[in-house]
Amino acid sequence: MATTELHKPGVGHTSRPVAQRKPLTVGRIALYVTLSVISLLMVVPFVWMVLTSLKTPVEIASQDAGLLPEHWDFSNYSEALTAAPFATYARNSFIIATSHTLLNLVFASMAGYALARIRFRGSEVIFYLFIAALMIPTYTKVLPEFLIVRFMPLAGGNDLFGQGGSGWLDTWWALIVPGAVTPFAVFLFRQFYLDLPVELEEAARLDGLGEFRIYARIMTPQVKPALITVTLLTFESSWNNFLWPLLVTRTDSLRVIQVGLSVFKTENGPQWHFLMAGTTLATLPMVILFLIGQRYFVQGFATAGLK
Amino acid sequence: MGAVSVLKARPARPPSLPGNTRPAKQRAGRTPTGPGRRRQRAGMLMVAPALLHAALWIGLPVVASVFLAFTKYDVLTPPQFVGLDNFKEMLDDAVFRKSIVNTVKSIVNTVIYTFFTVPFGMMLGLLLALALHTGLKARGIFRTAIFLPQVTATVAIALVWLWIYNPNNGLLNALLSFVGIDGPAWLSSTTWALPSVILVGVWQGIGMKMLIYLAALQSLPRELYEAASVDGASKARQFFSITLPLLKPATFFVLITSMITAFQAFDQIYILTEGGPANSTTMMTYEIYKSAFREFRVGYASAQSLVLFVLLMGFTLVNRRIMGGTRGHN
Repeated sequence: MATTELHKPGVGHTSRPVAQRKPLTVGRIALYVTLSVISLLMVVPFVWMVLTSLKTPVEIASQDAGLLPEHWDFSNYSEALTAAPFATYARNSFIIATSHTLLNLVFASMAGYALARIRFRGSEVIFYLFIAALMIPTYTKVLPEFLIVRFMPLAGGNDLFGQGGSGWLDTWWALIVPGAVTPFAVFLFRQFYLDLPVELEEAARLDGLGEFRIYARIMTPQVKPALITVTLLTFESSWNNFLWPLLVTRTDSLRVIQVGLSVFKTENGPQWHFLMAGTTLATLPMVILFLIGQRYFVQGFATAGLK
Repeated sequence: MGAVSVLKARPARPPSLPGNTRPAKQRAGRTPTGPGRRRQRAGMLMVAPALLHAALWIGLPVVASVFLAFTKYDVLTPPQFVGLDNFKEMLDDAVFRKSIVNTVKSIVNTVIYTFFTVPFGMMLGLLLALALHTGLKARGIFRTAIFLPQVTATVAIALVWLWIYNPNNGLLNALLSFVGIDGPAWLSSTTWALPSVILVGVWQGIGMKMLIYLAALQSLPRELYEAASVDGASKARQFFSITLPLLKPATFFVLITSMITAFQAFDQIYILTEGGPANSTTMMTYEIYKSAFREFRVGYASAQSLVLFVLLMGFTLVNRRIMGGTRGHN
């Protein structure tokens, strides 16, 4: 039944008139109901999270309390912020995610541009190396990455051979540098730069612009969707990252929000009202970002998937 | 609407054409003389920072990982070469249960987890994509809802599910008690823990699979369906003879990326079960973490991560074979 309209034109922009022409058959109603139920299943955990964050501990512990909180009380949020420095955690996550985003925008776009538009010796090999890097599982490289951070020469009390101190462990460097350029961003930028017309850069070259200017002034403004997509995807994955910050930080002041949540759970036992307030704070920015930039998220994933 | 705009942005070239690199090749080599050399140098300079970064944070770790897998290394003293000892020990672990690490069990669990989350999730994702492709009203709302878990942190999601699975006051058992069922302690039961973890994996992963299928469906050539309709092919026939074969590249891509994700399930295990009860939900990544950061056996952990990598590569190659040499992404 789902395939009935595959050939219908205008699934995108002209979809509205098409949808209105459809008679409301039994099949269509069934489709609506099924999709509604599935969508509900996807959203219920989030609703449950927010509802719990507004309940009192007594309400949460009682067996016969209703699903909705008795009175809507936001004090859990302010109390959670005093029970653990969630504000600091969120700030740290924000700093790291922003740094990763900016660094990727600069360095990944530059690399993606060069790989898409300039043929130089080894450029094809380099492109395939980035594709290969894209396929390497995190867990194959995370241990040596940790060791590199730990034995970073001349950092954190280390000598020239990386001995004696703690290297970059527990520093902003460890949190930011390894994620500064991702192969995924390079790949995504390359795909977008490929589509620009040659005439554009040739005209600029005739005007006597240097290669870096052509990249920065002429070509990059043409790939705004790529810039937005990389911004959203990088920020999202950086904000949501857990394993790496867990491994390289010890002190409370450098903890990111996801690690902070897990530590809070372990150290204080499951205090659900605080934990759900914390997870709401950790999820909310991403949900908002997604709702605003949904088009670009979709575009990014689809581009990576289909090209 | 978003996925369509991908196509709108590139009217010149349907995404199904493999000739991605063609324009670059045409442009290249046009000016091999003076200014061409300056261009080449600019290209190298532009790619250099990203390349150096990847060499240090991806290339070196991969090489080091292979090397460390054959050593005994506790970070404090220099690594010692021990040949295949680490790999032998993995097998011994299964038999003698000497250490707290249980590699073989974790491999079995990882494969089970992957087997359930990936094909099942792909089927659901495809069905949802087909449903959303019918031009329903409110399509955007459904798509947003289904994709939402994908953009939120696994740690946060796992915490919410931990609370949903709570045996006393969790949502799941509360709902079950309405219909008179006394729900189990989901995450501390050796029977239910793995299925519970799998459910979270399926729930979180459907959105991405649906999205890629949806984008692929929207790029299929309409003329084929029109021709098939004229020839009197039924909708079911059209689906199996046109849609499914044309979705092959998307299927291959979804399969590979989902498998890479499933094989690396860690955050949810860390939060939900810590591999328990009795190792019934431990995964390869969790065992790697335990060996390296609880037992400080970096050599052994590297050997485990090498096994993970080889298994993933193996599965990828097998899939490529089965799918008949379909081109993936590039």
